[in-house]
Amino acid sequence: MINGNLKATYAADEQVLNNAYKRAFVYGMALLCAALPFVANDYIILVAAQMGIILIAVVGVNVVIGYTGLLSLGHAAFIAIGAYSIPILHTLFGSLGVPEGIMPFLAIPLAVAISALVGIVVGLPSLRVKGLYLAVATLSANFIVIFLIELDAMAPYTGGFNGINTPEANLLGWQLDTQREMFALIAALAFVTILGVQNLFRTRVGRAFIAIRERDYSAEVLGISLLRYKLLSFAISAACCGLAGALFAYFYARILPEQFELVLSLQLVAALIVGGMGRTMGPVFGVIIVVMVPELLKYSFGIIAGGSADVAALRAPVQEIVFGALIIIFLMFEPLGITQIVDRGFRSLNRWPFARG
Amino acid sequence: MTLNRRSFLARSAAASAVLAAPTLLKAQPAEYVFGASLPLTGPFATAGQLVAPAFAMAQRLINEEGGIGGVPIRFVTEDSGYIPQNALANYQRALATEGDALVAYFGDSTGFMKLVAPELKGDQARLMGSTSFASELANPEVNPYQYLAGPSYEDQFDILLQNIANEGGSTVAFIFSNTEFGRDPIEHGKKRAEELGLKVVLEESTKPQGADIPTHVTKLAQSGAEYCLLQGYVTGVWPQLIGGARQFGLPTKFMGTFWGMEKIIADRVTEQAGPFLDGYQGVMPYRYFYDRADAPRYETFATLSKEMFVGTPLENYMPTWTIQTMCAIEIAVRALRDTAEKGLELTADNTAESLNAISDWDMGGYFGGPVSVEGGKIGTGRVYTYGAENGLFTPSSDWFNV
Repeated sequence: MINGNLKATYAADEQVLNNAYKRAFVYGMALLCAALPFVANDYIILVAAQMGIILIAVVGVNVVIGYTGLLSLGHAAFIAIGAYSIPILHTLFGSLGVPEGIMPFLAIPLAVAISALVGIVVGLPSLRVKGLYLAVATLSANFIVIFLIELDAMAPYTGGFNGINTPEANLLGWQLDTQREMFALIAALAFVTILGVQNLFRTRVGRAFIAIRERDYSAEVLGISLLRYKLLSFAISAACCGLAGALFAYFYARILPEQFELVLSLQLVAALIVGGMGRTMGPVFGVIIVVMVPELLKYSFGIIAGGSADVAALRAPVQEIVFGALIIIFLMFEPLGITQIVDRGFRSLNRWPFARG
Repeated sequence: MTLNRRSFLARSAAASAVLAAPTLLKAQPAEYVFGASLPLTGPFATAGQLVAPAFAMAQRLINEEGGIGGVPIRFVTEDSGYIPQNALANYQRALATEGDALVAYFGDSTGFMKLVAPELKGDQARLMGSTSFASELANPEVNPYQYLAGPSYEDQFDILLQNIANEGGSTVAFIFSNTEFGRDPIEHGKKRAEELGLKVVLEESTKPQGADIPTHVTKLAQSGAEYCLLQGYVTGVWPQLIGGARQFGLPTKFMGTFWGMEKIIADRVTEQAGPFLDGYQGVMPYRYFYDRADAPRYETFATLSKEMFVGTPLENYMPTWTIQTMCAIEIAVRALRDTAEKGLELTADNTAESLNAISDWDMGGYFGGPVSVEGGKIGTGRVYTYGAENGLFTPSSDWFNV
């Protein structure tokens, strides 16, 4: 919460972007994303697009962990389902004679819907178990989905262990055949997802999620159906991850099962914890730290120490240690995530020079 | 001034030179760059850290030998942590920062090579070798810019099965990890075994680390296989599977492929778990580093190693993984040099064409004789047997060409 932020009308209080900092950040980021395809090199576009995809997934994880308080360690499974749905659906549409230009308009919503349905199934244990027990139950979803993808019987559709080449997105004749063009789509959908989820928590559904997080049996006493809202939370969360997966498939020319293993699930949760759970900006800051900082470290260490292999052999572990230390420092000084650090900074700025912190 | 035939030709030549100058200048940067991703951290950090010094040696050696058409080469290496997307990001970063100077790339995994393959189009394409021997990659029609620095896993199975047939064997078991690496040559191996009149009596897939090995030993015993081909493991199953089979009293001969043939690992296992690896066989595309009698190139490496790697494991012995990397680099450099000699730009298309034209090339002892790049690979290798007593893999067959 940022204080020192005067609201003179109810309308001002109800705005999604209800203070100048949020407006400046969102409009600034929108401008940056719009300008990036024209000014950035391929590498920056690659990292930015990776951040966009992971961001959409972390926003989804935030719904179930941050807002509903249900610990899940299996969300890479939903990204995998979204990703593998794309080549499968394109093949199906191709056999049905659907024009290429409208395939993504059908494939993306369907991939999202399939992920949401699987999310409901995976969310079923949340009705009986909580905390670490639920984490273990969802963890198994990750293994089961990867197992099914790699299964010989599924290989004609998923490519099995070898992975599968993915189609390019064609939006009404606009072939998104470069990463630059795909970045435009990813950035647009990332904005829509963040604002959509932010808006969700201004509705009855979002508030029901928060009530469940605070104390689920109290929420039930208040008339909130745990069955309905817990599963809905999983469905929305999985849908976001499904969207991330669909974009992942369009972005990379090939997908492999090993890209969706436990490490990805842990990366999503780590980004959320570092950024700040249950806050809109948490996933944004978390993804910046988890995806961009390692690349920045690699880049800056490369400039300082040079790119030769013997130097790289020494600096690679050092980069990992520095990154690990950064995460520990963030968590030690602000366990509630970077969002809290930013909030504190803005609070201080708002009240300066009359008070600090 | 009148324009006669001679002056017209002279002026045309001068005009052509002026017009062509930017192209020539573009084709001759101050240095060429050879990028690489290595697993310097993560599960294969041991291999990555052993391979990394080879790049320093390669850079020195290649530049002392005249670089690429007189232009020096510089190696740029990044850590991938053995994660395909990280290696892809490294490749993209190298493309963005080095531009046209980047003429070749070395990848660290099959996953990366498969992930990057469809991205290698137009100005994003570069000649690309790797640590992988995956059969799928050896297909110039689909992957024109990628090559294997030796035989594919299918070829390696062919060599092993041929050797078994030559020894008069009749039954064979395939035990493989349940991974893309493990499954690679299995279907092909079954067909080849049938062609050679060998009976595949057991096909058993395991976890890569082999947590439930005793069950597999029992099944192997029940199958009565004379030979057992292991695929898709680096070290994980030797003590449990081979050690377990020996404790069980099984006479089965165990055989492996490239990644199961490193002396350092075999010595370590022997030291820690006993001499059960004695007699273990496998296929190796290259000579071992200590077999330098007919390998002048290895002698050069040995001289440089003594100078450059004093006090490190590489001072006296170059692991097979490092040899594979050196071989991949030398193949790319040969393709680049051939392209430069033809006066062509070092584009991916031109260098890939030169690569596929490499024929009867004496590489100085990596292989048994002169080699050719055919189908994006070099299909040769021979069978070696490990001796626990002397800690050496010694040749137990002639060189096979497949």
